[in-house]
Amino acid sequence: MLAHVVRRVIATIPVMGVVALFVFSLLYIAPGDPAAIIAGDQATPADVERIRQSLRLDRPFLIRFGEWVWQILHGDLGTSIFTNLPVTTMIAQRFEPTLSLMVVTLCFAVAIAVPVGVLAAWKAGTWIDRSIMAFAVFGFSVPVFVIGYLLAYVFALELEWLPVQGYTPIADGIWPWFENLILPAVALGCVYIALIARITRASMLEVLQQDYIRTARAKGIGQRGILFVHALKNAAVPIVTVIGIGIALLIGGAVVTESVFAIPGLGRLTVDAILRRDYPVIQGLVLLFSFAYVLVNLAIDLLYTVLDPRIRY
Amino acid sequence: MDRRTLLKAVAGAGTLAMPGRLAAPALAQGAAARTLRFVPQADLANFDPIWGTQYVVRNASAMVWDTLYGVDEKLEPQRQMVEGEEVSSDGLTWTFRLRPGLKFHDGEPVLAKDAVASIARWSVRDPMGQMLNAIQQELTAVDDRTFKWVLKKPYPKIKLALGKNNTPIPFIMPERVAKTDPFKQISEYVGSGPMRFVKNEWAPGAKAVFERFAEYAPRSEPVSWLSGGKRMMVDRIEWIVIPDPGTASAALQNGEVDWWENPIPDLVPVLRKNRNVMVDIADPLGNVGSFRMNHLYPPFNDVRARRAVLMAMSQEDYMRALVGDDTNLWKPLPGFFTPGTPLYTEAGGEILKGPRNLDAAKKLLVESGYSGQPVTCLVAQDQAITKAQGDVTADLLKRLGMNVDFAAIDWGTVGARRAQKTPPGQGGWNMFHTWHAGADCVSPAPYNAIRTTGDKAWFGWPNSPEVETEIAAWFDAKNLAEEQAAMARVNKAALDFVVYAPTGFFLGYQAWRKNITGIVKGPLPFFWGVTKTA
Amino acid sequence: MTAAGAAVAPDLPDLLPAVKPRHGILGFLRRHPTIAAGGALLIAMLMMAVFAPYLGTVDPTALAPARRLRPPSADHWFGTDMLGRDLYSRVIYGARVSLIVGFAVATLASVFGLAIGLFGGFIRWADALLMRVMDGLMSIPPILLAVALMALTRGSVGNVIVAITIAEIPRVSRLVRGVVLSLREQPYVDAAVAAGTRTPMIILRHILPNTLAPMTVQATYICASAMIVEAILSFIGAGTPPTIPSWGNIMAEGRALWQVKPYIVFFPAVFLSLTVLAVNLLGDGLRDALDPRLAKRL
Repeated sequence: MLAHVVRRVIATIPVMGVVALFVFSLLYIAPGDPAAIIAGDQATPADVERIRQSLRLDRPFLIRFGEWVWQILHGDLGTSIFTNLPVTTMIAQRFEPTLSLMVVTLCFAVAIAVPVGVLAAWKAGTWIDRSIMAFAVFGFSVPVFVIGYLLAYVFALELEWLPVQGYTPIADGIWPWFENLILPAVALGCVYIALIARITRASMLEVLQQDYIRTARAKGIGQRGILFVHALKNAAVPIVTVIGIGIALLIGGAVVTESVFAIPGLGRLTVDAILRRDYPVIQGLVLLFSFAYVLVNLAIDLLYTVLDPRIRY
Repeated sequence: MDRRTLLKAVAGAGTLAMPGRLAAPALAQGAAARTLRFVPQADLANFDPIWGTQYVVRNASAMVWDTLYGVDEKLEPQRQMVEGEEVSSDGLTWTFRLRPGLKFHDGEPVLAKDAVASIARWSVRDPMGQMLNAIQQELTAVDDRTFKWVLKKPYPKIKLALGKNNTPIPFIMPERVAKTDPFKQISEYVGSGPMRFVKNEWAPGAKAVFERFAEYAPRSEPVSWLSGGKRMMVDRIEWIVIPDPGTASAALQNGEVDWWENPIPDLVPVLRKNRNVMVDIADPLGNVGSFRMNHLYPPFNDVRARRAVLMAMSQEDYMRALVGDDTNLWKPLPGFFTPGTPLYTEAGGEILKGPRNLDAAKKLLVESGYSGQPVTCLVAQDQAITKAQGDVTADLLKRLGMNVDFAAIDWGTVGARRAQKTPPGQGGWNMFHTWHAGADCVSPAPYNAIRTTGDKAWFGWPNSPEVETEIAAWFDAKNLAEEQAAMARVNKAALDFVVYAPTGFFLGYQAWRKNITGIVKGPLPFFWGVTKTA
Repeated sequence: MTAAGAAVAPDLPDLLPAVKPRHGILGFLRRHPTIAAGGALLIAMLMMAVFAPYLGTVDPTALAPARRLRPPSADHWFGTDMLGRDLYSRVIYGARVSLIVGFAVATLASVFGLAIGLFGGFIRWADALLMRVMDGLMSIPPILLAVALMALTRGSVGNVIVAITIAEIPRVSRLVRGVVLSLREQPYVDAAVAAGTRTPMIILRHILPNTLAPMTVQATYICASAMIVEAILSFIGAGTPPTIPSWGNIMAEGRALWQVKPYIVFFPAVFLSLTVLAVNLLGDGLRDALDPRLAKRL
């Protein structure tokens, strides 16, 4: 097992290498010139060319790629074309808000969705089941920004219970930090809750048909024991898979939520960098994402073995 | 009882008491009253006003750096850092003397050599600066507080060049910083302006923080735009980037921010209804919308095709699409220059006035030789102004009978593609949309987009010796009457030639909370004189 | 063999209610009301999209800035948007793009994801390699892909489909792989292997039917998600071009105004929700029909 883990961790390196090459090539061939954006609307073509040269963007592909890889191996992600700050600084500044948002959303979503899905499976076919599923469908049929606006309007503007925008670092107090995250996490979480609840229900239904459940019931084990101890554990594999996949989703949703609620996170940084062609920042972010996904997927795979001892690597 | 109070009462009665929102954490009540929270038009991604000429960079830089001269409300340059200047009788030698007591944020005094180095760096990137460079004999510091500029030809507009509000502004930086290559970014943000840039609280794309510089010595004259005594009445200014207009509107209504630079016009009625929010025009000099054509390739290489567009287009459609139904916010523009300024002229603008004549336009287009080839339109979707104009253009060109090749791309790509001189079918273009700040369209001096020097001109590369002759005549004009006559000829020549198609003149609003006073209309947001009461 | 008076086991009562056999399509639909409901709604949407020109619509791209932002009225059933375009027409025509995007992405992602997941889950040496590639693919933000594609060519429906599909394939493949990994250890699979069944046969007869249920659920989710991601891409400006209305870009265009003119976001949101509901009902119904063990419970 340990060998497997180590092998997986080492295997991330070629993955990240491939991703890096792919993204680098994509950016290289995609038109769009940070120099033009920097030079501004009134600049002449000569100005733009001078800036390109000073940014060293006119050198051949392999040289630029090689240089970048060399930098990475020395722990240096490069410097942003636009802000002149190191990419690591820029990522570090924006890391906490996004991480906070994702953790709070994840906890909120799982805490609500799994019990709700179990409830729906237990009461399958009744109006409870149908209404829960209808609600779940609603959750992911409306785009995140619509839910976000609705929440902001009701809770921030009309009732004035919560702030409408911004992020407070956790160092400034737990409640202010949480206050700023409630609305975005609920907006982002709605989609997630819907998905997890549905998969939970589907998976639980499969499991509840099994013979061993009937045996457990015959043995006299209470409903709660059956549901949570016997059934849920066996139903867990697809649920955990979906949670893991959903983490990938969260980055996409985070972009929108961060824009709507003006949270200074990595999602917005990604979009801004892409639209401005701030290559070092884009490349650094993609590397970070690929590393994060690999770790998350590794964790999920390991979780499989805990939940279903039949799975072996 | 209004709706909001009723809702709150019902909500409060129906649920457990929720804790009210806590006050802004990190600041005590008193300090909060001295912090101004501002929502800028875009994010402050970089902070070098010479290297990156975006408007938002200039606006922030105006707080941190000071200038030798500054224009007032009438766009007349007034002394700012300069105590006095002298020009020799032949107009070739200018001697400038700095005010005493000017200090940089790091405590060092401002010396003439700092001014010399800053001007040198700025002049490489600025059109007027480039003109000065071309006729420059020498620019040197005579002593710690005096420097002289010797030219080969007289340049009467030199004070305007040093005090103008069009970007790039010749901000005065320490010599060591100003020695940075003008095509590379500076990394030290030290100036002598009334606010200091707090670099370690800067989160590009999210927040920028400025603190009052206690040792700034303002002039004694009353303040007027960039001239006069720049007195700061708040201790701290936070620029908070809110990309979503709906959220910014809510934040302003909620009191989470104090001043919003550019609310979108359709949200203004909501803001007006709020008793705590004031709304007014932001910049009386407004903006000029542009339908920029490529003069190198058909169809727009033929003046008849260009005139057909002018004949058929409805500036009202473009302007309504841009700024909505509020007629305070736009004017038709039968020319290229900014309304409301002394040099404004409508000479030659008949083609843009009166009812639109689509049939005549279609005939003219056919006459020009257009036979159905695709017309590539570059439309940036991530800029609201270009997106809206692009939608109207697609409709217009279709009705004119053109084969529209609509390229929905982003602004970064527009920037790259518009520089290509290749044919439209091979990565080139036929037209793109943009807009120019009215402050940049007051006269031909800062106005790159009106020049018709062919290869050296702005994107589109219009080539017209006639227009250039008239522009040169304006530069040589010696008084206002001569300038106005010259401007009329420039306008007419430019319209006859159709350098580009102006889509109209539009303005924007700014909005702020009632407890903020001292906000004025201007080409950039002026933070001096702005007070916040608790 | 009963003698008079000898004990005879009484008739057992019917434990299950008598099931009246119903045949044919109608019977099928009666037994699966969710398929009926979902299918009907989806077909209604499809018909609406196909017959858009005949439903009282005008040219969805015809703009009239003088009549912008009018509320719903007899002339404009859903009102007009910020350029004066008729919102009703835009929403009806928008169905085309949104449905195409949803279905294309769901189909393509499912097909590719299934192939990869089966291959990787079943054939061990390929598993590590494929999953690492999938990891890599997942870490490229779909936004980057969409913007890059848009910059390379221009904004178009095709680019949106490609960008979203590439982002969704890893999810399907992981799900399939997860199921395959569990099933691989089942006794009947072992038995089939012991009996000498070739691998493709095992996949086809044992693994595939068991993946269909979770995959159908996943595909319905992908279909809905794709329609929503299209809206998000429009939000950023990298979605379908404005000359082609889709529910996503109508909502994105109207989002800044939704406090003052909520109908611009409201109407496409309603249609999108109904379509997603329909797709989900259909998915649920199909899953129940395919998995007979669940049919009786519901």
